[in-house]
Amino acid sequence: MQILKIQNLCKTYGKGEAKVEALKDVSFSLEKGEFAAVVGESGSGKSTLLNCIGALDNPTSGTILMDGQNLFSMKEEERTIFRRRNIGFIFQSFQLVSELNVEQNIMFPLLLDYRKPDPAAINEILELLGLKERRSHLPSQLSGGQQQRVAIGRALITKPKLILADEPTGNLDSKNSQDVVDLLTQCSRRYQQTILMITHNKNLTASVDRVFGVSDGVLKDLGGTADEKLS
Amino acid sequence: MKNYLDLVPISAKVHRKQSRMSVICIVLAVFLVTAIFGMADMFIRSQILQTKMESGSFHIGIRDITDEDAALIAKRKGIKATARYGTLNFSGAAEYTLEGKKAIIAGCDEAWVMEMLVDFVVEGNFPQTNTEAMITQGAQEKFGLGIGDRITIKQPDGEKLSYTISGFCAEASKTRSEDASGIFITTDAYRSLYPGVESDKLADYDSMLYVQFTNEFNAQKEIADLKEQYGLSDEQVSENTKLLGLLGQSGNSFMGQIYMAAGVLFVLVLISGIMMIASSLNSNVAQRTEFFGLMRCVGATPKQVMRLVRKEALRWCRFAIPAGIVMGIAVIWVLCAVLRFLSPAYFGQMPVFGFSIPSICAGIIIGVLTVMLAARSPARRAARVSPLAAVSGNANELMPVRRAANTKVFKIDAALGVHHAKASRKNLILMAGSFALSIILFLSFSVTVEFMNHALTPLRPWTSDLSIISPESTCSVDHELMKNLQSAPEVKTAYGRMFAYDLPITVNGAERKADLISYEEKQFEWAEEYLLEGSIGSVINGENTGLMVFKQQNLVQVGDTVVLNVGGQTKEIQIAGILSDCPFNSAPDVETIICSEDTFRQVTGETDYTIIDVQLTRYAGDDDVSAIRQMAGPKYTFADERMKNSNTLGTYYCFWLFVYGFLVLIALITVFNIINSIAMSVSARTKQYGAFRAIGLSTRQLRKMVAAEAAVYTGIGGIIGTIIGLICNKTLFRMLVSFRWGNAWVIPWEELGIILLLILLSMAVAVQGPVKKIQKMSIVDTISAQ
Repeated sequence: MQILKIQNLCKTYGKGEAKVEALKDVSFSLEKGEFAAVVGESGSGKSTLLNCIGALDNPTSGTILMDGQNLFSMKEEERTIFRRRNIGFIFQSFQLVSELNVEQNIMFPLLLDYRKPDPAAINEILELLGLKERRSHLPSQLSGGQQQRVAIGRALITKPKLILADEPTGNLDSKNSQDVVDLLTQCSRRYQQTILMITHNKNLTASVDRVFGVSDGVLKDLGGTADEKLS
Repeated sequence: MKNYLDLVPISAKVHRKQSRMSVICIVLAVFLVTAIFGMADMFIRSQILQTKMESGSFHIGIRDITDEDAALIAKRKGIKATARYGTLNFSGAAEYTLEGKKAIIAGCDEAWVMEMLVDFVVEGNFPQTNTEAMITQGAQEKFGLGIGDRITIKQPDGEKLSYTISGFCAEASKTRSEDASGIFITTDAYRSLYPGVESDKLADYDSMLYVQFTNEFNAQKEIADLKEQYGLSDEQVSENTKLLGLLGQSGNSFMGQIYMAAGVLFVLVLISGIMMIASSLNSNVAQRTEFFGLMRCVGATPKQVMRLVRKEALRWCRFAIPAGIVMGIAVIWVLCAVLRFLSPAYFGQMPVFGFSIPSICAGIIIGVLTVMLAARSPARRAARVSPLAAVSGNANELMPVRRAANTKVFKIDAALGVHHAKASRKNLILMAGSFALSIILFLSFSVTVEFMNHALTPLRPWTSDLSIISPESTCSVDHELMKNLQSAPEVKTAYGRMFAYDLPITVNGAERKADLISYEEKQFEWAEEYLLEGSIGSVINGENTGLMVFKQQNLVQVGDTVVLNVGGQTKEIQIAGILSDCPFNSAPDVETIICSEDTFRQVTGETDYTIIDVQLTRYAGDDDVSAIRQMAGPKYTFADERMKNSNTLGTYYCFWLFVYGFLVLIALITVFNIINSIAMSVSARTKQYGAFRAIGLSTRQLRKMVAAEAAVYTGIGGIIGTIIGLICNKTLFRMLVSFRWGNAWVIPWEELGIILLLILLSMAVAVQGPVKKIQKMSIVDTISAQ
């Protein structure tokens, strides 16, 4: 079942001589439960791609269909609600709500949706993340790795169709980085969760299903793991 | 870049938006201080001008001294001028007359006219010999006199005094409204009017010595020295209270209360300015903690970071202080222009582009000092930022959170908004404090409105410009004159009253006396607002009906019949209404009954008026008044009240303008401060809001979050402001109103309602702007916002 379909996506910044083509005619699709990684150098356009997919930024042309729905044909409010329910975000700098504890941070998207969180689901996620003992801690009382795990929990709680992870290991050491990727892989397998992760660390793509490479705004499907192809 | 501090202008360019908000705050604070102090300064100046014109520019009067003492006092160091001044027939009891009209004779030294009174001599000179006299301008017009003409004053004993006119002087409101002439003669000539007196005591000639000090701001010390050296008692020295009061030199206890009240208001304005600036700097630094962390990271010492923050704050002052001062000056210019327009006679002398040096100094000092003081704590905070903060990238960590937000009581959006407001106690105190101070300032300054309403009686709708009065207070002013007056183009309206004084009456079995007064329609209309019960309509249309003016011992009810004894005949008037008050005074045991002209004629048989009041059109001038005087003829007393009215109006306009000016200014600054503060607060969290939006926070939820945060500030500020504001209001009310007029304090619901409503509206407006701004930004831009 196709979750994400991107066709001829282009994103241009500036005009005239200052014009920068961040994405050039990008097309690809992701199936349900697929864990894909986008690798590329800094400034290659991978974050722009992620922002457009997450409807955080508007593409210049092309279509993005999420579960058959075009996000950019929706009104602002409708799109926000769609994003809240169907897309989970994991940021490099965690972006946790400092005023909320671990448990509240995880249930934050549900609270924004004015839904009553299911305690069993929260417990399950906390268990999975290994944060059960720290459910009442504030983000400032956690390590970087723990904070990123909370962010993963927050992305998972709504059981979204797609999780977008923007350099989720960028602020972590190698041990924590591997743990986070392992956790994402585990989620992908356990919940049949579609995940698109951006990274510039090719070593972290070992366990993903597909790898895309972006260079100067052009996306190439590298097939299986980057390591395999590259090696 | 030669020095690390050169980073300040570069950083200011990058953070232009945040800097702009801080600059706005400083501008507002400096503007508030400059404008309020400037307005107060201009108000005092205008009042000094008016006081000097109305009551003279002397500082004290001394009675019961001898000529010898007066001469010694005049020679003292620190005395600018002295003048002996006394009057004869001031009350009119002595019956000195000029051409059959009341004459007030003033005997004085030349210094009285030249030094103590402002612009007094209109033409000619003060009398140089004992046979010369200077007379008031009104008498010149009335009797067609010129310099060199002879005037003859009739004394009470029938003897005549003759003087040659040496000059003409300005009219006083008293001579105008009493249709009297003022005659100024030398002290020697004046003393010759006391034939049996051979004394050198001023009191024997109803005179006093008036003194003007060289340094008017040292008056109290001079007064104390004079009293000590000449053994003068408190009763012997009377102050020109209003002038000394305005100069800050009055020993009067009520003035003391006014000074204290002014002191309280001064301190409140200062605290408001400080709060506003402190609050803005605090949120500005909080917003950029990451940047300061970076500075620490690249090797800046805490001291260097503090210097950076201070330099930044001073850089803002470079623009903000002059801007605030310029705005303050502009407001003062506008107010002065309005004053000059409203009352050119008094305030024409006020400078077109006047500067209030004290207010400018206050603005600069408050601006620089407050910015320096207010920058201290954020600077320290900035210096404490760990270098780690810069590299962690999680700016939220920099605002330490101690407790998690309560998501059980409120929904998540409101809960976070409330939590944001409470996140930093200092920020909450400063924000709520600056809101509270607006309320405190407004409630405190609103007492001055009450003070104004007590201290000044504004002109009433029935206040007349001219009155033509029967000299014997009988019904002798020809009613034909009324018709002529009503048809005169310069007359806006003319209305007459007939009076029958002290008529014996019997009401409900009790015997009393009453004054019967007739009204025409216009006066009945004005009386409407005083009607306690009954109906005025039935008095206008009905026969032998009347209105009774309420008195404490009043036993009359609507429907009662009053039996009047008029010239031995009994007449009946049925009371159709009770009025709470009327513009006429009667003896405590004399009732006042008001009836229609028809009823009055039927009851008394009189057809002519006792008084005709005239209100002139706006464009009527002195020539028109002379024409009306001619029309009335010489047999009536012609009272010209225009000057008195313009005095009252002048003071009232001046007070009104400044009092409401203060209030409007405070209200405006409140609005700007709230809008700016909320915008700053939102701007400080832009990045966080960006992340929230990415996760799924809708614009509506963002608005609720910001509104909840703003509501906490306004709620807390509102409660604290209301409590302290009411305490201040009560204290100032006691000082300014209860102390003098004895009125009891009541909660100023209206003022409280106005300021709270204003704050709520400002809050509602304040939330919209920043939310719309964030809504317009793409989420990516919001997350990466600096």
